[in-house]
Amino acid sequence: MTLLKRGIPVAIAVIVGLATLLGLLVFPPLSDLILGWAALLATAALLLGILNLLNVHLRRVTGGNLYSLILVLSMLGVFGLAITDALGITTGGVDFIFAYVQAPLEAALASLLAFFLLFAGVRLLQQQRTVWSILFLLTAVLVLLSQSPLPAVLSDILAPIHSFISNVLVLAGMRGLLLGIALGTITLSLRLLAGIERPYSS
Amino acid sequence: MSEALPAIIIILLAATLMLLALRRLRSGVRYSLRPLAGYTVIGEQIGRAVESGSQLHVTLGRAPLPGVNGPTSVAALEVLAHLARESGESGISPRVTVGEATLLPAAQGEVYRAQSAGEVTAEFATDDVQFLAASEFPMAYAAGVTNSLHHDEIAGNVAVGRFGVEVAIIAEAARRKEFSQIIGTDDPTAMALATLYTDNVLWGEELFTAAAYLEGRMEQLASVRAQDILRWLVAGGILLFTLLRIGRIF
Repeated sequence: MTLLKRGIPVAIAVIVGLATLLGLLVFPPLSDLILGWAALLATAALLLGILNLLNVHLRRVTGGNLYSLILVLSMLGVFGLAITDALGITTGGVDFIFAYVQAPLEAALASLLAFFLLFAGVRLLQQQRTVWSILFLLTAVLVLLSQSPLPAVLSDILAPIHSFISNVLVLAGMRGLLLGIALGTITLSLRLLAGIERPYSS
Repeated sequence: MSEALPAIIIILLAATLMLLALRRLRSGVRYSLRPLAGYTVIGEQIGRAVESGSQLHVTLGRAPLPGVNGPTSVAALEVLAHLARESGESGISPRVTVGEATLLPAAQGEVYRAQSAGEVTAEFATDDVQFLAASEFPMAYAAGVTNSLHHDEIAGNVAVGRFGVEVAIIAEAARRKEFSQIIGTDDPTAMALATLYTDNVLWGEELFTAAAYLEGRMEQLASVRAQDILRWLVAGGILLFTLLRIGRIF
């Protein structure tokens, strides 16, 4: 029984994984079909996710959490708006919420990033005065200056430095990291295909 | 077919190297893994959480399992499996948050399995694994993680998986609460931001070796060995082609 319980999910995963790989390499319609199934499952997972979110916050509302109450009410409000949009009672209600509530809130949070990073950089320099942190500071100052409106003489000096940092140092580092990630992805995928890693089974 | 040939060659080469490394391991040859701060600190974090009776917060990023970055999420799930197993032995499960819907059932499975296998059986709570936002809304996800870090009984923060710039918001929230934190991601920008907050950063490919460091089975060690050899081959190839280009031979 245990063999069946463990063996069947592994067998299905290995067969589907190999079929997708073969499809991607030699017969794309096969992989397209399997990826279509995966997309369907992802949609079902999103529904589960929404129910999970609602469940967690409903429990918190009973514990007196005001933020959870706002979240649940917003969730139900948007859901109601989506239904009235679909029935033709309202027009573009969900789009309105996304454009005038969701997007500005996300943008506001994203704009805080600049301050977080500035303070994090300063803190790093205060805590670790190493060669690397000084190099970090110099690079940051040079890049910021090169993108500022400066007299032509200074811009002419800083532009090639900025270009060298962006196109040689940063690009080389990023390519090195991405190559390592690609190799890691290949070996992990092979472990999954061989049934060595089983995130779906005990 | 000809377009797929390089991919086929690389896959076959990687598979052959893994098999050869596994054969050597089975014949008694030992491979030692270089110490990585991120994996060393994981053990300490579990110990602190168990001692204080608090939960570890684990957030798994927002890479869909069926997508291109799926392996990153699988690696993150391997870290979660280890944390859930180790802390589950004391009846404490980690608090998990996800920014992608397909990660929710996978993470729930890992936590549930660890709880079922633990010596001190803990009851699976709905709050243990939470979906925060769809992957298209990174800032909403980061805000959700921040909320979880501020309001729950947490002993430390482990952020592993696919993150973008929102990792800075998560790391800043953990720093304000003075949590020890580990960040592992495959995004170069997120890696750079993470280094501003912690020394325990798992850089790209290091995240994919999680299973070998945390479980250390022969097949996993063989895969790390194959990864190392492939890296040397790629580096050697780049150097060779550069020299050939300089010499105008290629």
